[in-house]
Amino acid sequence: MDKDDNQEKGETEDIRSCDPPSVDPNLSTETDNCSKAECQNNSGDQPSTDPEQAPTENGHEDSGEFVVTMLARGKLEEQGVGMMGSCPPLSITGTSEGAPTHRDEDVMAESWRQHRKHVFVLSEAGKPIYSRYGSEEALSSTMGVMMALVSFVQSSDNTIRSVYSDGHTVVFMQKGPLVLVSVSSSRQSEQQLRGELLYVYYQIVSMLTQASITRIFENKKNYDLRRLLAGSEKILDGLLNLVDSDPSFLLAAVHCLPLASSLRDSLSQILQKAITPNLVFSILIAKNQLLTIVQEKTVIEDARLEPADVHLLLNLIGASSAFQAGEIWTPICLPLFNPDCYFYAYISYLDPPECTVCLLLLSTDKEAFYAVAECKRRIEEAMLTQSSLSLIAKAHCYSVSQVGVSDLRHFMYKPFDIPDHHKQLTQFTSPEMEAPYSTEEERRRLLDLYRHMHGRIHSSSRPLKLIYHVAERETLLAWVTSKFELYTCFSPLVTKACAINAITKLLRWIKKEEDRLFIRYPPKYSTTPNPSKTHDKNE
Amino acid sequence: MLMISPRMASGMQEKLYNPSLLSFFVYNPSFGPREGEEEKKILFYHPSDVEKNEKIRNVGLCEAIVQFTRTFCPTKPAKSLHTQKNRQFFFEAEDSFWIVMVVRNPWVEKTNKDGKPPTIEYQEEEILDTVYGAVLRQCYSMYKLFNGTFVRAMETGGVELLMQKLEKFFYRYLQTLHLQSCDLLDVFGGIAFFPLDKMTYLKIQSFVNRVEESLSLIKYTTFLYNDQLIWSGLEQDDMRILYKYLTTSLFPRHSEPELAGRDSPLRPEVAGNLLHYGRFLTGPANIKDPEAKFRFPRIFVNTKDSYEELHLIVYKAMSAAVCFMISASMELTREFCEQLDSLVGPQLTLLASDICEQYNVNRRISGPEKEPQFKFIYFNHMNLAEKSTIHMRKTASVSLTSVHPDLMKILGDINCDFARVDEDEEIIVKAMTDYWVVGKKSDQRELYVILNQKNANLIEVNEEVKRLCATQFNNIFFLD
Repeated sequence: MDKDDNQEKGETEDIRSCDPPSVDPNLSTETDNCSKAECQNNSGDQPSTDPEQAPTENGHEDSGEFVVTMLARGKLEEQGVGMMGSCPPLSITGTSEGAPTHRDEDVMAESWRQHRKHVFVLSEAGKPIYSRYGSEEALSSTMGVMMALVSFVQSSDNTIRSVYSDGHTVVFMQKGPLVLVSVSSSRQSEQQLRGELLYVYYQIVSMLTQASITRIFENKKNYDLRRLLAGSEKILDGLLNLVDSDPSFLLAAVHCLPLASSLRDSLSQILQKAITPNLVFSILIAKNQLLTIVQEKTVIEDARLEPADVHLLLNLIGASSAFQAGEIWTPICLPLFNPDCYFYAYISYLDPPECTVCLLLLSTDKEAFYAVAECKRRIEEAMLTQSSLSLIAKAHCYSVSQVGVSDLRHFMYKPFDIPDHHKQLTQFTSPEMEAPYSTEEERRRLLDLYRHMHGRIHSSSRPLKLIYHVAERETLLAWVTSKFELYTCFSPLVTKACAINAITKLLRWIKKEEDRLFIRYPPKYSTTPNPSKTHDKNE
Repeated sequence: MLMISPRMASGMQEKLYNPSLLSFFVYNPSFGPREGEEEKKILFYHPSDVEKNEKIRNVGLCEAIVQFTRTFCPTKPAKSLHTQKNRQFFFEAEDSFWIVMVVRNPWVEKTNKDGKPPTIEYQEEEILDTVYGAVLRQCYSMYKLFNGTFVRAMETGGVELLMQKLEKFFYRYLQTLHLQSCDLLDVFGGIAFFPLDKMTYLKIQSFVNRVEESLSLIKYTTFLYNDQLIWSGLEQDDMRILYKYLTTSLFPRHSEPELAGRDSPLRPEVAGNLLHYGRFLTGPANIKDPEAKFRFPRIFVNTKDSYEELHLIVYKAMSAAVCFMISASMELTREFCEQLDSLVGPQLTLLASDICEQYNVNRRISGPEKEPQFKFIYFNHMNLAEKSTIHMRKTASVSLTSVHPDLMKILGDINCDFARVDEDEEIIVKAMTDYWVVGKKSDQRELYVILNQKNANLIEVNEEVKRLCATQFNNIFFLD
């Protein structure tokens, strides 16, 4: 068991590396593992040692590393195949390997200043925790200034929100003992930038839990949280890249892969049948979009799964190619569902080496790896019988031309009136971005336009129902009703009459296709009552 | 992102407090660079009864914020700081001279039951940066109009003189700020032009030429009728601030006597000869009294190049007002004033009634005012021409609008959106109250129309605006 643990640690300490886990672990990082173990253990009776001096007792049995890779015996060979050089398919931007260079950037250089969006995370004591560009060390004095500004305003019984200059907006957010700052030239609204910082905060919570963070800083105000987050900068980097390029974050909704409802139903049934006690969510993902999700009945009665949690989960998986190795069993916190406890996530790609289809099984029982792995085998078997994988491979995002409306270049549609809405996962649908939005630059520009309209429509003080914007390169229409939220992009010369017609046609088309575009009725299953959950509630 | 629900009426007792001025100060960081010298940086601070250390701290915060933003862009430092309770606006008026205005956010006080203390909720998104930033810059422009630049004051009399001037000016001026009624028009800082036919316009021009020829001391002239501009010899930037002064300060002060009836004791002494209705608004209140002392206000124009200090003579006859500007190095004697009075008085009186007649004729021809039907605001960046059918007569106190303040803020948002790009654009929005707001930007001109047509759709709204443009703004806006 010990040896396995060492291998686990070797893998976890350097998520960035593509080395198979059998490589010699970096033993000097043992103390960090144990600190994480301490954090993960929520039972309250902690050895009252100085958190900086990691207690060594809990670590090993607890599998307390932030990411624990447990390798099923049969899959050892596959690691070599799946690992080297491939871009993690679940990360859209595929730039996760670029992380090492960020940290070495010269923070005095013009190029550093020119980044579109800086994000900084620091503790209340001014200790740096994370910087998107440049190393936190090099930026510690800048972060010190940020903390000084926060404290200064606080001392007059006030709270700092933001600073505006011609080129940039600086947004401050304090969550518990953490201070998050965004310095952006993207011209987004403060509300949106703050929402993005919240995502960063939640991603950190997903790794450590909110209860732990609070406790650590209560014990020691100037604790260096980097000790616990070592190796996870990549995950935050990946999150920020996704936030910039993926509209799911803006819409707070999950993107589904369009699928014939019969296929989706058959997949759901497969998942529904492969359950085990304490299994809470079964999620199937392909090409970074949701295929189906099956949920435990009683759990979902109490609280619903928020899209943000799914986004954080997808980012975590996509941020590291280490997840492509066979099967992963990792503790993860779903911050919006419950910020103070861990779920245990079983992650496995069903189609190595392409690794486009991912199965995610969440359990509340950390000892359930083998039972959950067994579920996966049953699922795999059933999918093989039904040739599901080849059918899934044929599914792909649709082109806007399928709607049959000329002038319409692109849209994003998010319905509110899905069945059982208040318990369902919020979704949206959107076609491929095609010409003239075929370059990354043009896609970012279109997304910026959508973001701006979203900001205006959802303004906290003067929200709107509709925006029609005729600009030089496109005409955009954003519309919020009680039933849906819609963003459309037309060619700039479209007339208002045409635009209205187009939208009517579009809404009709979506209605016709809704069974294919959305998960309308997420199936449920029932597993035995969840002792861990109630246990946590009593903490 | 995570949606925040719009403000909802709570049903409890609620009292809304408008935005108000918290503090206003002028500082120069280079005046007290060393520790212990911080007080020297502060050139003016309102309210003055704030404790010295508190002033130093507040100025220090501004410096820190500006410095911090320079980390990311050295050439474009901070313009505003948002906090929960207030907004601070920064303006580097002249090299290293900073002016800061701190405005308290509007807030709502909700009374609680059971004798609990009332809860206070700050409304942090109500103030528009563009509006109050413009108000701040206007404060500087107004100061500069009457006092010249900071640098010149320093050159003339050092820090002491500058501090004196700042104190004297801002102490009074800040009392006239009505921050709760600032809106888009402050962003424009425009000038209302008086619509005239060619003939009358030429009459006015030749009048100006004649006077300038006869009184060669006159450097610049401006001609206004009914608080609207007809002719100006000044540069645009100088004219727009002078216009603001005239229409919000000088004219309102002098309008009451005129409106009073013939026999009212308020009517100014019209001595002896009733040859004309002309009188001085600045300078000698009664030209016939030889003992009375008088003084013309001094203004500074063209501060960026020729830097001229001028006497400002404002002379009015009925609804026509003329400004004559003469170099301050000249001494203006009583004789000169009498000369001007006898020259200008009769001519201006005649001209004023001509204009009035012509105006009435035009109105009869064009029929009853169509404009009130449409609520709109128009502004032309090129000549600063501004027109609003939403605002009632502007006075020094409040500029009343006939639409809900939230709609004005939406207009402000659209204006911000227009400023993001150079190209012509159109933005149409439907507010939660079902009002439609249409913004059009074309070639340096901006037009905002508010339509109260709850059941209209986009196409109908478009048609309405087209109608407005066809009648009022022929050939100006590119139509769909």
